[in-house]
Amino acid sequence: MTAARTTRLPIFRLVLRTQVTAPRVAALGALGAVGVVVGFALGAAADGGMAIEGKAVVPADVLAGARFVNTFGLSLLAPVTALVFAAASLGDMDEDGTLVYLWLRPVRRSRIVLAAFSASFVVSWPIVVVPLAIAAAATRAGPALVVGAVAAATVALVAYSAIFCALGLVTKRSLVWGLLYIFIWEGFVATAADSAARLAVRTYARSLLGDVSGLRLAGTYIETAAVWIVPVTVAVLALEFATWRLSRRDIA
Amino acid sequence: MTTAIEVDHVSKWFGELVAVSDVSFSLDAGVTALLGPNGAGKSTLLRIMCGLTEPSQGAVRVLGGNPRRSIQLSRRIGLVPQQEALFSKYSAFEFVHLAAVLLGLPRPRAASRAALQMVELDSDDPRPVGHYSKGMRQRVKVAQALVARPEVVVLDEPLTGLDPRQRLHLIELFKDLGDEGRCVVVSSHVLDEVERLGSRVLVLAQGRLAAEGDFRAIRDLMDDRPHRVRVRCSDAKALASTLLSTTGIVGAQVVDGTTMVVETTQAALFRRRIAIIARMKDVRLQEVVPLDDDLESVFRYLVDGT
Repeated sequence: MTAARTTRLPIFRLVLRTQVTAPRVAALGALGAVGVVVGFALGAAADGGMAIEGKAVVPADVLAGARFVNTFGLSLLAPVTALVFAAASLGDMDEDGTLVYLWLRPVRRSRIVLAAFSASFVVSWPIVVVPLAIAAAATRAGPALVVGAVAAATVALVAYSAIFCALGLVTKRSLVWGLLYIFIWEGFVATAADSAARLAVRTYARSLLGDVSGLRLAGTYIETAAVWIVPVTVAVLALEFATWRLSRRDIA
Repeated sequence: MTTAIEVDHVSKWFGELVAVSDVSFSLDAGVTALLGPNGAGKSTLLRIMCGLTEPSQGAVRVLGGNPRRSIQLSRRIGLVPQQEALFSKYSAFEFVHLAAVLLGLPRPRAASRAALQMVELDSDDPRPVGHYSKGMRQRVKVAQALVARPEVVVLDEPLTGLDPRQRLHLIELFKDLGDEGRCVVVSSHVLDEVERLGSRVLVLAQGRLAAEGDFRAIRDLMDDRPHRVRVRCSDAKALASTLLSTTGIVGAQVVDGTTMVVETTQAALFRRRIAIIARMKDVRLQEVVPLDDDLESVFRYLVDGT
């Protein structure tokens, strides 16, 4: 077993055990369940008609399904779930002072950060992607939307988990700042200007959803390669920053 | 041979607050007590020594290296931090085992069991440490710090919350570690604890190194300071006039007809003589209360001489 594995795995397990609490899982699980119910409601209301999105005429059921996946899954469930778990991954330890028990070990800071990020992603993925895939299927918009929802939510979770993991090391009020980012920046500012939209994870996730499902939703649209490359690059940069921050900051 | 800990003109401030001010000392094998009242800067100094925070000025070297920069050095330093929180879902064994694994010990399970045994905790206890008493959590913290048998052991108030028997046991353990040639630094604000450690003492007050040396020398210094004693009696004026001509009395202030505050440099002698003098003057004593026997005033004296 390599040194990296012998240290990363125990930290991964530790973060998983400390951040997965019954109230968190119950609250976010309930949010996912609401999405599934709404998905079935949309599916039941499907009538096979056509609708206009931008300049294109598209099946109304597919459009309603895609809009739902975007609005509920990519704009709410994915970022909020990632925020709750990723911000807590190192942030909770920082706050209660237990981070010292990881910091004062001969372990590379990047391994600690990577383990925290991995644990956050692993716990967030089923809570977000499973109900979102079921909801997308329930809308009867077709398998392309299900695949698109899974791909877009996964890529979004990678970026959000890394960003919020770093945020947990920057401020003790990571939940508040994270929610402000999600709802004010991504939900409001980024919808107003094209340049701001390119600085929002949601834009890339929505574009990816459009690419895979074959339905381009209104709003800023990012080219195919960028929808994969940019969120992953953002994640790498955020993890680099978290590592730098963990190395330089005071430990309580 | 490399000095275990070398603190060279270290200062640390947080904004306007100066936590540690121009402190210098060096430590080798043996137990050293860092004594000081709450807020004296003990924890900050210990954190600097472990690399958890950077000094604003000056330098710290532990085993010849910079503890802030060298990750590998952390293998040779064991820290018991002041904060109580542990990974609350872990059992004591899991907690110490995690430390052993991250420290890269070849037989982490055996090392963890041995460390828990040292602090008299059951390694088979499945209860999460979140359910432990404060004293038990304190011992878990000591076990994780000692699991790799580090050359430098830094303990921030490790005896807090322990019952007298456990306190005695840990004091003996720390002494043994010092006798084995390890550099053990124990912080405390309780004079009796430090006395029992029978060690070299560094007295820290208001962020400054107020005194250092053998415990007995520090104790003598503390005992020699002027003590203020409030005396209530039937005739304060009559008693005060006699007291002023007595050896070791440097002042007597009559507050009212029955109360006065006496200042003496020989507290023990004063305690022995006051009753005799009162009887001679036919004055009835009602109360003799030391006003500044608390540690705060002791430290204040060491720093300011007041």
